[in-house]
Amino acid sequence: MTSADPTRGTYFITEDDLRALTGELLGAGTEVIAPVALDVCASPSAIASSACLRPGVKPIDIEYRALESAAQLNLGSGLPVLSLKQYFLPEYEALCCWRQHGTEIEIEAVPTEFAPRVVLAAKPCDSAALAVVDKVMNWDYADELWNGRREATTIVNLACPVVDESCFCTAVGTAPDDAKGADALLTPVEGGFLMEATTDKGRALVEAHAARFTAEEGAGGAGARGRQAAEERAAARARAAANLEIDAASVRDWIDTHFEDPLLAALGVRCNGCGACSSVCPTCHCFDIVDEEEGIGKGTRRRCWDTCQAPTFTLHASGHNPRDSQNPRYRQRINHKFAIYPLKFGEVLCTGCGRCTRVCHAGQDLVEILQAIDIAARRREAVSP
Amino acid sequence: MNDESDRRQDGAADVAFEPRITAFVCNWCTYTGADLAGTSRLHMASNVRIIRLPCTGRIDPLFIIKAFERGADGVIVSGCHPADCHYTSGNYHARRRFAVFHDLMEFIGVDPRRMTFSWVSASEGAKWRDVVDEAVRSVRELGPYDAYRALAPVGDREI
Amino acid sequence: MSDTVTTEVPVYAGVAELRRIARELLDAGDVRVIIGWEHARRGARPVFITDAADADRLIFDARCVHNLVTYLNPRRDNVAELGKIGLVVKGCDAKAVAGLLREAQLTRDDVVLIGVRCGGVLEEAELPRAAPLGPENVAPRCFGCDNREPELVDHLLGESQPEPPRPLTTIDERVAALDAQPLEKRWAFWTEQFGRCVRCYACRQVCPLCVCERCVAEKSRPQWIEASPHPRGNLSWNITRALHLAGRCVDCGECERFCPVGIPLSLVNRKLQQIVAERYDYAVSDDPEHAAPIGDYRLDDKQEFIK
Repeated sequence: MTSADPTRGTYFITEDDLRALTGELLGAGTEVIAPVALDVCASPSAIASSACLRPGVKPIDIEYRALESAAQLNLGSGLPVLSLKQYFLPEYEALCCWRQHGTEIEIEAVPTEFAPRVVLAAKPCDSAALAVVDKVMNWDYADELWNGRREATTIVNLACPVVDESCFCTAVGTAPDDAKGADALLTPVEGGFLMEATTDKGRALVEAHAARFTAEEGAGGAGARGRQAAEERAAARARAAANLEIDAASVRDWIDTHFEDPLLAALGVRCNGCGACSSVCPTCHCFDIVDEEEGIGKGTRRRCWDTCQAPTFTLHASGHNPRDSQNPRYRQRINHKFAIYPLKFGEVLCTGCGRCTRVCHAGQDLVEILQAIDIAARRREAVSP
Repeated sequence: MNDESDRRQDGAADVAFEPRITAFVCNWCTYTGADLAGTSRLHMASNVRIIRLPCTGRIDPLFIIKAFERGADGVIVSGCHPADCHYTSGNYHARRRFAVFHDLMEFIGVDPRRMTFSWVSASEGAKWRDVVDEAVRSVRELGPYDAYRALAPVGDREI
Repeated sequence: MSDTVTTEVPVYAGVAELRRIARELLDAGDVRVIIGWEHARRGARPVFITDAADADRLIFDARCVHNLVTYLNPRRDNVAELGKIGLVVKGCDAKAVAGLLREAQLTRDDVVLIGVRCGGVLEEAELPRAAPLGPENVAPRCFGCDNREPELVDHLLGESQPEPPRPLTTIDERVAALDAQPLEKRWAFWTEQFGRCVRCYACRQVCPLCVCERCVAEKSRPQWIEASPHPRGNLSWNITRALHLAGRCVDCGECERFCPVGIPLSLVNRKLQQIVAERYDYAVSDDPEHAAPIGDYRLDDKQEFIK
């Protein structure tokens, strides 16, 4: 058995070694973020959940958390409630603090450099979202906090078997086995995982823990494990594709040219405008900047998640609101994700994780909406040469 | 709370705990009663900062939450006795609002001894002194409201 | 006996009548839209029927948990512009209509109310089919419902329904369990719960009675409630939301169901119901003449907490 040579592509690692590697990282003081299965019924909030009293399967929440031990690392297929976004654009963060001394104002900036950290077993839709959002974060202004965290983080994806019927990553240009936005990809195989390092950061991780990996036999995944991985990955892609298939380019063009179409203009009627979809979305990146005073003459400027689904998002100081009802606000959500962003940055602002659909108890269903738009777009293409 | 005395209180753990108490009082009864306590030269604890409002009916429960957020260890809400309201019924409305607020805060886990509600008329300078002394005494027993301060945002820094 | 037989739910007798009335109201021009429930890809959800030909999409079963009264909210310009509304309501929903009438947000002639006799609903709407109600799946708020046959309606459909089953634990039992804890434990519980709040305001948006034109949480001068979702601002927001619903909340449970992080808001809401019941002998009803306790007073209100 040869240990890993990081100049080559694919390695094999057992689950024990992966946990040992995690333990080594933690032991060295590196922050490791990974899916963790939270036993809802073990927390004090169990009192809130009748599900905890039910016989049978107990509810488990999967969340990305900073690991306290390697044993916490969850290598299952569950989708974390919130996406990985929260570790790059936190729900709230300080931008600066101020204190007023008479007419002078003292300002303290926040650090924009971050200690190296590793994300393990990220969902491919979540890492891909980071790569998509990188573009706007470096468009007319380079966001130091976002970039600082991106640079400090090595992300290892875990190939996803596709969670349920609301997953549609393949329809929006990514895949359940994509390493986009990540530095390496793990694929479950007999006895462990195949690991492909796709960036220098990913290769550095393999190199630093070379003893944990073995070089995979057969170049290009031609070995037995490689074939097994390829089959599983193809099957997962097919499952995602069965949920939704659209032509993202014609959807983009149709939305761009059908602003007033009844299909787009009346989308928000059942929507409550709560913006939970934006909170759970891995690509929604809009934030508000607020000054929060600590008494008189001092305080902190923070940014926090915002949503285009709230009336205040576009409310002018004059009182005028250009998006003054939920219909234009919901259209904006679709328009921004599937037309405005791809026209500006060449990529759809959606990675098909389906969280928005699952979280919406009013029944707004992005799969259904995209299907309807796709049909309208194809119909148009069929009539015009 | 940005003056130097506050800062000293914040920093000096070895100094005996002096509660910070914010009092929201109505202009017509309790404020005048507190004034009377002063002009009568009654001795009382000096830990209370008074915020004068037109009526207890003007006191939003958010004022109390804000006081805790900004570092108060206790609050006092005080106004005219029933039937004495300058605006006829402001205190009756306030009474219902604060009854519900009081019970809810207790359910959330806020010690009711940190919140004093009282009726103090313009002629009750001595009662005001007693209310203040009692509030300061019970908050002193409870200690600083660190549990509320622990809710402060992460990354906050004093400059 | 196969499984399918034992889990079969009898079809709600009122559905055919519901569809017929909806068709008639639309055909006669009495209303321009019927807001009810339909079956969609992920389960039951609200539907807006504007064409009588679509009336057969309407359903009613135990998955119809949504309180559709939120669509009568005067803020909802895009719903109002559809024209006069015919609304399908359960008993709890009718209480919310009474709330809007009581607070002059609506006049009775603005809406045609189609009431359904209700025997309780499930905890979730996102199911492929209705399941028979049992202790493990019934919405806990349905236990002890006092308005299974709403009076504040223009039509009342369906057959009399049995009482909803008792859930594994009732909301009252959960509130009592919290009440039995020492203060510090309750503080730890609630600050942990509210600490998870992402301030999406789903609870507010979906609430049929959160009708403010501009919410206090959005005011920045002065900023009463800190906007970013840290534990301190979250506590302030959640206390304020609960308090503003004191004596108004109809216990439809929508705030809790919509909360993306699962904060047990029904426990706070229930506590407030208990407080107003105990102090002011008040229970929310679907009688719009029955004044709400906050904004009202009696000379002899209890004041044991005041020195």
